[in-house]
Amino acid sequence: MNAEPQAIAEDTMPAFSSEPTLEVIGVSITYGSDAGGLKAVRDVSFRIAPGEAYGLIGESGSGKSSLAYAVLRHVPAGRVTGRIMLRGQDVMEMSPQALAAARGRIVSMVYQDPMSALNPAIKVGEQIAEVVRRHRKADRKAAWARAVTLLGQVQLPHPDEIAHRYPHQLSGGQQQRVVIAMGLACDPDLLVMDEPTTGLDVTTEAVILDLVNDLRRALGVAVLFISHNMGVVAQVCDRVGVLYAGQLVEEGSTAQVLRAPRHPYTIGLMNALPTINRAQARLADIPGRLPDLRQVPEACVFAPRCASVQKGCTTAIPALETVGPGHRTRCFERDRIVRAMAPPAEAEAVAEEATGKPLLQIVGVERSFGRMPRLNLPFLRQRRPVRAVDDVTLDIPRGRTLAVVGESGSGKSTLARCVAGLLPPNAGDILLEDSVIRPMVQNRTRPEQRAIQFIFQNPDAALNPHWTVEAIVGRPLKLHGLAHWSADLRARVVELLDAVKLGQRYLDRYPHQLSGGEKQRVSIARAFAAEPRLVICDEPTSALDISVQAAILNQLRDLQERHGTSYLFISHDLGVVRHIAHRVAIMRHGRIVESGTPAEVFGAPQHPYTQALIAAIPTLERKRRGAEPDTTRIMA
Amino acid sequence: MTVIAFILRRCMLLVLVLIAVSVLTFAIVNVLPGDVATAVLGDMATPQMVEAVRERMGLGQPLPDRYFAWVAGILHGDFGRSLQHGQAIAPMLLGRLGNSAILGGITLAIAAPLSILLGVLAALRPGGVMDRVISGFAVGTHALPEYVIGLLAILAFSIWLPLLPGSSLMDPNENPLSRPEALILPIGVLVIGMLAIISQVTRVGMIQALASPYVRTATLKGLPRWKVVMKHALPNVLPPTVTEIGMYFGYVIGGLVVVETLFSYAGIGQMMTNAVSYRDIPTIQAGVLVVAAAYGIGNLCADVAALVLNPRLRG
Amino acid sequence: MALALPFPALQRRLGVGDFACIGFLLLMIILIAFGTQIAPRDPLAFDPMHSLEAPSAAFPFGTDEFGRDLFSRVIAGTQPTLLVALAAAALGVLFGTATGLVAGYLGGAVDETIMRVMDTLMSFPGLILAMLVVVMLGPAPMNVVAAIGLVFWPRSARLVRSVVLDLATREFIDSARSRGESRLFILTRELLPNVLMIIVVDFSLRVTSAILLSASLAYLGIGVTPPTPAWGLMVRDGQQFIELAWWLPVFPSLAIAVVSVGTVLVGERLRRSIAMPGGDRAR
Repeated sequence: MNAEPQAIAEDTMPAFSSEPTLEVIGVSITYGSDAGGLKAVRDVSFRIAPGEAYGLIGESGSGKSSLAYAVLRHVPAGRVTGRIMLRGQDVMEMSPQALAAARGRIVSMVYQDPMSALNPAIKVGEQIAEVVRRHRKADRKAAWARAVTLLGQVQLPHPDEIAHRYPHQLSGGQQQRVVIAMGLACDPDLLVMDEPTTGLDVTTEAVILDLVNDLRRALGVAVLFISHNMGVVAQVCDRVGVLYAGQLVEEGSTAQVLRAPRHPYTIGLMNALPTINRAQARLADIPGRLPDLRQVPEACVFAPRCASVQKGCTTAIPALETVGPGHRTRCFERDRIVRAMAPPAEAEAVAEEATGKPLLQIVGVERSFGRMPRLNLPFLRQRRPVRAVDDVTLDIPRGRTLAVVGESGSGKSTLARCVAGLLPPNAGDILLEDSVIRPMVQNRTRPEQRAIQFIFQNPDAALNPHWTVEAIVGRPLKLHGLAHWSADLRARVVELLDAVKLGQRYLDRYPHQLSGGEKQRVSIARAFAAEPRLVICDEPTSALDISVQAAILNQLRDLQERHGTSYLFISHDLGVVRHIAHRVAIMRHGRIVESGTPAEVFGAPQHPYTQALIAAIPTLERKRRGAEPDTTRIMA
Repeated sequence: MTVIAFILRRCMLLVLVLIAVSVLTFAIVNVLPGDVATAVLGDMATPQMVEAVRERMGLGQPLPDRYFAWVAGILHGDFGRSLQHGQAIAPMLLGRLGNSAILGGITLAIAAPLSILLGVLAALRPGGVMDRVISGFAVGTHALPEYVIGLLAILAFSIWLPLLPGSSLMDPNENPLSRPEALILPIGVLVIGMLAIISQVTRVGMIQALASPYVRTATLKGLPRWKVVMKHALPNVLPPTVTEIGMYFGYVIGGLVVVETLFSYAGIGQMMTNAVSYRDIPTIQAGVLVVAAAYGIGNLCADVAALVLNPRLRG
Repeated sequence: MALALPFPALQRRLGVGDFACIGFLLLMIILIAFGTQIAPRDPLAFDPMHSLEAPSAAFPFGTDEFGRDLFSRVIAGTQPTLLVALAAAALGVLFGTATGLVAGYLGGAVDETIMRVMDTLMSFPGLILAMLVVVMLGPAPMNVVAAIGLVFWPRSARLVRSVVLDLATREFIDSARSRGESRLFILTRELLPNVLMIIVVDFSLRVTSAILLSASLAYLGIGVTPPTPAWGLMVRDGQQFIELAWWLPVFPSLAIAVVSVGTVLVGERLRRSIAMPGGDRAR
């Protein structure tokens, strides 16, 4: 193990003189055996002062969640070395009794998915009250009263009534408030928040982040905030650490790290981040993929993907060195690297709206869902039919992208499935080049089927696990008679794979041998194999990391330029949409509330909902929203 | 209120199932290749004898008429006459059913709590010593037919160590509960058979629950382990387990038939195997219908119990 | 087009347990194929001189009331017991898979109709239904196969249907639909390979239940007639001599126990080594 002593002592910590609430010293976490094990976290050190909010930023595989759970010593399958000092006591050395006494009282946790983190069979009030009873020796009545108070503190309406509900009777935002109340039940010194807003809509997310800030100010609780979203971290945290492949690569105040990063990885992340403020021609993606954490070389872990890599980078591990007050970075080239900001005032890269006849027209499409067929359990109230798509009319121009934006439940995916012919609309027509096409895809003509292709949200589910990449990409070619001889077919498949930057060597692989980004590239190759005129992209990057997302978005833009394909792009992410769309439609409760060019919609939003949506985006600048109405209730 | 609505719905469903079951039973007996009269008499029968039996059983009439006559009879408590004994089937059926219910009821009362307990114990440390012993025992006994376990039990406890009677033969009018020692072996065999299944079902459910995020939440609240298991995991495991126990009632009934035959216990299973050897088709038909009804009611009870155990629907 | 079945888990090195399983399967195959020839004596030949003899070097398992060699009868009994079980399991799983695939993928009225029929079949306890069917069809191995197959049919269909319903919500099925594939293609090329592993596991479990079910039927005197050396029937006949000659019911019982525990262990190993590619949920 590389337990090189960290230069913590030499590093002058800013202002906080008292004993830190949390001090992580040289922590490594290994899964599996020592030799061939997965080294998820390597030699990470940081400290959190009382009342401070510390953010850990990282993409998937960075080890951020392992680290978060290690603070509560909950790493069931892994082995932790190093010291985790909680108010001066080493968590790893605690007796089981002391550990149980510390959990929930000194440190508690807020989870990524509140629905599954809450016990479905216990009333939420009791789930909070039992923590109080456990750690405060309170009687039932007092504990219940405390639970109700806490539910009020997290700004849930009618807390005494909510306390009697079961988790499934609450909305996602309300559930997360309950989990936060549960975490705060015994006034802990440290709250560990593991991606607390990841599953929530933007508007709900904004409200939860405000709540966290308010509570932090009121209660003085320190926060370890884990997130992949730099905007979210910027809203909450005082200081930030950036994790890459299990190593802390940069650390400093939020302003230092997010506004003037000094590590190539952080810089890469910032450049890959699509924001609504600028429409860049290309996002800068980070090429390559995460190194194999089973065999980490004695070198800078980021070197293989680094744009500024030098000879020395591949022979030694750089130390975390100070570059400013409290600002440290793990890079040999730290003094030469300044963030290469994209030219801010580049001409509007996304061209103006195309004139001429639209490729596809959606005319008055409606789709409602009645009760679920066959699932009419007697104790579930039968739902009223919900209008998922309510009289939507839109045009998709030739060779251009129409983005439909909305939060969950807005009906945007239903609309996409209606266009694809996977779901029949109740009313309305789909016109392809001025002629009405049949609602169900199996009734459409071969050329119509070929003209419209689909790229799905979830790369893990979109590819048949029993087919090779060659079979997957080759199938549309065979189906539509685009390649007849097997050699011909293979050549075409290789061509398609090359176009999405996957080479010939991927031909014989199965989906489970691919990363998420690679799977999505195969999906794109498959869609383009049919030489379509319209590709429907249903949240194609929402399951991917930021750096991979940038690469996929660039890919889609390149292919559009080359083939003149139109896109119907479904997304919840305004930044992504700003980057790829020629026209934008904002959808809510099945209706289009506003549409126009990106400049119009983002520059001067007319509809209050669009304005609220834009205001809710967590940007790198911290926003302080005033006493805004609770939008979660509007959303629910 | 929801519970009552659920029970009502389930009862209506049970009626539908029973109608379907009676149709299918009747169809298997009357429509499958192979004539009832021949089945009754065996291959050696002369045509005259076959004709006589056909006459006596009313086989000449059209199928729908016969079906409705049969069902109408059952609704009036008339299951027809036994070919073997020449007497009405209904009274005999009733007494036998009671005896079987005693055997099955006691088995369930012992096996269900015990096997849930074993399942939970095995799940606490999957792969641990306790789990290996319990699961090994379960896999082993599950792979053995009841009569193999029963024969070994008879050899051990009734022949080599003459402690218990190896047969539960008794007067048809005698209450089985008056001779508890004759019940021990049959119940023991049935309990072992059930333990194997239910403990494994519970174990799987419990392992899943213990790996769930809400159990992690409870642990990281600082709750003691027993509280995490009993308060947070078990209430989520119990309802689906009880439902699944209901689905295995059919298995228990099969075991009951074998065990009753093995121990000559005067239950409905033994009645049916007897009827099989005497080709007493009306009795078999009646027995099958009653057993299917019992199975349906057992399933219903399990579903209701699962519902009642589910706190979300109770509160 | 490559439609190969990847068995990533089977590429690991084989261990002692695997060889034990393979050995067990080979032994069973040999006994099924050549049981009567291997048996040291004629399993059906009466020998009044050696009636009810205890196990000895000459008669390893003893003899029955007619002086027949129990060892030879147990060996010869492998075939009638196992062949019926294998055929019944195959029949039930085959019909169940076809039904489950069709019901799950087509849905709607087809699914409703099929599943109500399956529900009716499942409203009978398995043994009772098999009993009724064999009694009506008459005692013959093929009838036992049909009866047990009928018992398994709805259970397999339900399993396959639930897997198909789960798979049908996956986006690769939507992808196939949206590019205009036919239903037959989606059923056979997209769904079937994903269900295949589950079918194999289901089959291995059904073989064990079929052994138990057919042995129970034989024990109840249903489906086989003397002098067939079926194990269940041998236990039934031997039971009356239990106080005189314990070996008569015990050795056939042990044979059933060994074979059915063996199939359980083979099935268990199979289930563990077949993991869906990419660590998909194993059922």
